[in-house]
Amino acid sequence: MISPIHIITIGLGVAFALGFVNKKAKNFSATIMLVAIGLMGAISVAWLTALLQGAETVQIFTAGFKPPYSINLMMGIHEAFLTTLINVAGLLGGLYLLQSLKNAGNHAIMVFLVFIMGLNVIIMTRDAFNLFVFMEVVSIATAGLIILTETGKSIQAGFKYMLATGIIAGILLLGIIFAYYFSGTLNIDSLAEANITTLKGGSVAVLMILVSIILELKPFPANGWALDVYEASNPGISAMLSAASATALYFVLFKVLAIANENWYHILTVAGMLTFIGSNLLGIKQNKARRLLGYSSVGQMGLLMAILGLKPILGDKLEFIAATILVSHYLAKAGLFWLAGIVENDNIKNWSALRRKPILLVLFGTFLFVLIGFPPFPSFYGKWELIMQLSSNQHYYVLALILLGSFLEGIYLFRWLGYAIKMDFETLPELNINWNKIIPPVLFGVLVYVAGYFTSALVPELSALNYIPLLFIAGIYFIDSLPAYIKNTVAIIGMSIYGYQILPPLYENDMLRFIFAAIFIGGGILTLTAGYAYKGKRSGFYPVALLMYAGLAYIIQATNTLEFFFGWELMTAGSYFLIIRGKKSMPHGLSYMLFSIAGAYAILAGFGLSFAGTGTYNLSSLAGISSNITIIFSLLAIGFMTKTASLGLHIWLPGAHAEAESDVSPMVSAILLKAGVFGLLLLIINMGHNTETAQIGYILGWLGALTALVGNLAAAFQEDAKRLLAYSSIAQLGYILFALAMMSHLGLLTAMYYSINHFLYKAILFLTIGAVVMRVGTHMMYKMGGLIKNMPLAFIAVLIGIIALSGVPPLSGFGGKWLLYNAILAKGWYLQGAMVLFSGIIAFLYLFKLIYSVFLGQMKDNLRHVKDISIWFAIPVYILIIGIMIISAKPEWVLQPLGDMISQWYPNAALAWNGGLATGPYGYWNGNGIMITVGIMFVSLATWLWMMSRKAVQVKQFNIVYSAEAPQRPETTHISYNIYAGYNKALGWIVAPKITAFWDTMTEWIHSLAQYVRQLYSGNGQLYAIYVLAYIVVVYFTMIF
Amino acid sequence: MEYIALGTGMLVILAGLWAIMTRKNLIRIIIGFSLFDTGIHLVLVAISYVKGGTAPILDSTVCIQDAAQRIVDPVPQALVLTAIVIGLGVTALMLAFAMKMHKEKGTLDIRSFKDLKW
Amino acid sequence: MKNIFTLMILVAFGIMIYPLVNSFKGNDKLPELGNYYAQPENVTKVNSANLVTAVVVTYRGLDTLGEVSILFLTAAIIAFFLKKQTGKHEVRENSEIFTTAAKVLFPLMIILGVYIFMNGHLTPGGGFQGGAVIASAVILMLLAFPEVPVNQKLLSYMESISGIVFVGLAALGALIGFGYLDNAILPLGTFGKFLSAGAVPIIYSFVGLKVGAELSNILVEFKSVQSNE
Repeated sequence: MISPIHIITIGLGVAFALGFVNKKAKNFSATIMLVAIGLMGAISVAWLTALLQGAETVQIFTAGFKPPYSINLMMGIHEAFLTTLINVAGLLGGLYLLQSLKNAGNHAIMVFLVFIMGLNVIIMTRDAFNLFVFMEVVSIATAGLIILTETGKSIQAGFKYMLATGIIAGILLLGIIFAYYFSGTLNIDSLAEANITTLKGGSVAVLMILVSIILELKPFPANGWALDVYEASNPGISAMLSAASATALYFVLFKVLAIANENWYHILTVAGMLTFIGSNLLGIKQNKARRLLGYSSVGQMGLLMAILGLKPILGDKLEFIAATILVSHYLAKAGLFWLAGIVENDNIKNWSALRRKPILLVLFGTFLFVLIGFPPFPSFYGKWELIMQLSSNQHYYVLALILLGSFLEGIYLFRWLGYAIKMDFETLPELNINWNKIIPPVLFGVLVYVAGYFTSALVPELSALNYIPLLFIAGIYFIDSLPAYIKNTVAIIGMSIYGYQILPPLYENDMLRFIFAAIFIGGGILTLTAGYAYKGKRSGFYPVALLMYAGLAYIIQATNTLEFFFGWELMTAGSYFLIIRGKKSMPHGLSYMLFSIAGAYAILAGFGLSFAGTGTYNLSSLAGISSNITIIFSLLAIGFMTKTASLGLHIWLPGAHAEAESDVSPMVSAILLKAGVFGLLLLIINMGHNTETAQIGYILGWLGALTALVGNLAAAFQEDAKRLLAYSSIAQLGYILFALAMMSHLGLLTAMYYSINHFLYKAILFLTIGAVVMRVGTHMMYKMGGLIKNMPLAFIAVLIGIIALSGVPPLSGFGGKWLLYNAILAKGWYLQGAMVLFSGIIAFLYLFKLIYSVFLGQMKDNLRHVKDISIWFAIPVYILIIGIMIISAKPEWVLQPLGDMISQWYPNAALAWNGGLATGPYGYWNGNGIMITVGIMFVSLATWLWMMSRKAVQVKQFNIVYSAEAPQRPETTHISYNIYAGYNKALGWIVAPKITAFWDTMTEWIHSLAQYVRQLYSGNGQLYAIYVLAYIVVVYFTMIF
Repeated sequence: MEYIALGTGMLVILAGLWAIMTRKNLIRIIIGFSLFDTGIHLVLVAISYVKGGTAPILDSTVCIQDAAQRIVDPVPQALVLTAIVIGLGVTALMLAFAMKMHKEKGTLDIRSFKDLKW
Repeated sequence: MKNIFTLMILVAFGIMIYPLVNSFKGNDKLPELGNYYAQPENVTKVNSANLVTAVVVTYRGLDTLGEVSILFLTAAIIAFFLKKQTGKHEVRENSEIFTTAAKVLFPLMIILGVYIFMNGHLTPGGGFQGGAVIASAVILMLLAFPEVPVNQKLLSYMESISGIVFVGLAALGALIGFGYLDNAILPLGTFGKFLSAGAVPIIYSFVGLKVGAELSNILVEFKSVQSNE
């Protein structure tokens, strides 16, 4: 084995030798540099492998003396791992920078090589002064690399950098000298033993050392210089600073922390959290990509610093948490900066350029999700473990702040992703593509998945996870260039096989889960069938759709909270991409994502608290929680309600559902919303029996009733058919929430029945209306009319859908209503019940409007020749109609087993079944009987009408005259335009967008706050130097007081 | 003797910092840096002093056997050498930057280099 | 206003470093590390009469390597940063006294520099000091004869060779000696004589050459940028 010291030999030796190379032979020099970094990397990789296989940590002595008398280095598992990271980044970063380095000449190549070498030594050295020297080496090399691509801005940034780091280095040196004076040694390990913090002067010396290393990690607000550097240097260099330098400096802090006392853990936590929150807040106002990445980078280092500060409570989990987050940041940030060099244009709006190369867009999305901490990336596991440990140790403030900071980070990252995916351009901005610029980010993109896989292997709670769906999705991604129908077939087959595997056992054992699984997978297959109607490739659709379905399936199968959360986040990611595919969906995608992230964090916190109470991740352990019940229940309920779009958390839904593609709307409406219902159901069956939760249930009941009312009213005032359906979904989910909140047998049964029904009719309606929209090319109902002639199939489907929805006999909606009223009476919620009843009446308004304005009335001239809806939409629609018929005629087939299952938790006031006849506390109901009775009535009436109508005179379109004048707003001449103006006058105040206004105000405040705070960064380098000194002083005075 | 050196060193450090924080001219700021560095070097030398000691060079006057009793600490002296060289490097580089900045805007006033902010 | 704020910070900083001054009591005897280096058996192990040089080149040789890297970096950065630009620079004629004195002093200064770094292990001085003296000889020439071109290629070759020798000797220590930068890979010689202290004088001489070359290079770069104004 080659001694690690030869990393220095190679690095410096080659750098010196490059002086002999002819100035013109730049290719040769660059190659030699890469080979040298490769060799350095080979040494660290060799050591890493050896150490992983159990080799001993080695000390490397210099000068023939043992420490502390001479400088020594160390190569242990940490050092091997980190030097490997550095050298890999150096190798790929060097490759990426090839053109820039060659342009700047041999000297720049030498500087880059020495820079990488210096980082290696920083990690390995165990001597304080040697650390200082090599930090200076790195710092000077950095100053040189900042101006690798020379611009006015980069020179200014370089000067500010030197100004700030110059002061920091001076303070560090002073600290080291005095540490030497007080302890008589320069060796870090001996310094730690000497424990000089007990001396008055000694503690100042330690403070100077530690604060300067903290300052090197760019704490807010003393980091203006660093942000300028990230912004102004060549992105390839920023990538190195963010990935390699920050990683090395973080380890320095870890190493040097040994000489400090416990007080420092608090300081680190506070400094870290301040940085995490502060820089993510300011990121929100930032539109320049590289500066934004700078903020994110600084923020992540803040988080890592805080994690180090939490060492006393994280204990032996520290390494896992820090390593996962560090590696994620390393891979993602390097990747993003590299992409920034490919996009070139620094405005984040111009990142749509990535659409020219879909692979780059995928990488971009991947890296952003890595930063936020989504599965299956390492940061996900790190954050999970961190939250679990924090809540077990009652560090609630830190927990809340971490989630807040992550949320703020989500705001700007997903806004950015939205721009990249959706920003409209007539011609996309250009990319600067070279093979050597593509390879590094692609490799890091692959690595991040690999790292995620290996990290998950370290988590015992995920050992049961089935990776086949994820592999399948990866497979679908690789055949993305094939035509849509092939991928559609593959996807349907895959889902069918998966359904065949998981559904039968669930049917045997767990009816509740079976119902949801059937909705998710059955619904998935049906909605995918509609996909055959699409021509071309439909690039990127199938991986994300399947990702959502895989997430849903994971949720169903989860037995512990980690698996559940894993599935929940996958589902969120998949559905986000589905939603943002729609037209004009950029803002809706963003608000969906933000509500989802906030909801996910509420769930995460809830799971954390439950873990703190029970000590296990087991989902069923929720039932055994005895402390913090109210808060756990509320957090989880709020989290789930972001997906059910309950009032207050619903503003993302209308836009997201309405703007989605025709077959995506049913996916995200009929199917996706049920994930929230499933969560709430889990919550209620496990935790619903406590007195505390019953009180929350009361509130939730009111919330559900209000949601139903507002949703239905708002639906009635829509002119956009899909928006109408979207608001209708909000209302329907309001019913479900209301029913669930009763926490009674009938309540749960009602909720389940409503869920099934909502799935069926909302899928029918969205598919049909979506298919109609595809034909007529507009969502606006006033641009349609009289389509019954051209689209009888669609008309019948919508008719059946609205009958089922409205709750009139004979279809399933009636059964739902019957159950609901029984449940209300049993519970005694009369006032809320009246409200629900009232909103049920309002539903008629919009249902009438829907079918009337689209299918009845005068036909529009331009629609005279449209065809009926695509057969590929008609097939799933009619299968669903059969489903409605079955569940209407034979409700006992599902209700009876469901009732039995629910009786496990809520045995009281169950329905008594006698064949098809259900008897509840307040009456009886026979689905089959009603079906037959109403069927006969309907057939006789229809026959009579048909007989009568033969005498009618048809009114031709030209019977209507406008006195030869074209109306100014043609839509107003449509009879159903603003049909409910009167109601709007009377009740419109209920649906006034107060909640939207509330969230808008919140956003406004955050932006103003960010705008105010960022005035700190005035651009004056001298001010930044003052901040640095002020930071030191402030830390000192907080320490002594 | 060493007290004076130490005290002076600290004062020079403060003076240097004052210059760095308040002077507007880039060159003066860099001079402030040199002062700051020099102060630190003085402190280093003060710390190396042993009462009654002489230079840590062994020759006819200081022989090997009683070296430990007669010399001052060689360690900070070695450190100060390194520190001086580092300071030299940093100063040279800063001057190069200042030159370029002057060429760009025709001024040395640090307040006019605020192209990057927020 | 801003200055008051700055002053407050400075005063606070002063308060902060006061405990350092306050708890400084001087040294009554050598601290542990220095004491160890001054022990006869250790002195003879390195065999360098100048203990500072012993510390700089062996005990803390790695620092010196870093230090050399820093100068190297500075020179390299300045070289690619301050790219030479053509264009004549009006120079004032130097007085004859100055030019003549420069011609006389130049070789003497070079010799002095070489003497300083070659005897670094015996007398005060060493590579950096010697190198600096050499560089000051170069600046003298630059001032006296601004028009005369300097052979930068030679300087950079010198730089590279010295650097490689330093790193090579250091690595040799790890390969055949007890550790990186072990000076005992060469015979230790007689204490106090020119040929003593093993590899130390060789390393220090090359450091001197390197530093001289690098500093001269930096100066030449600075000068060459001037000429385009």
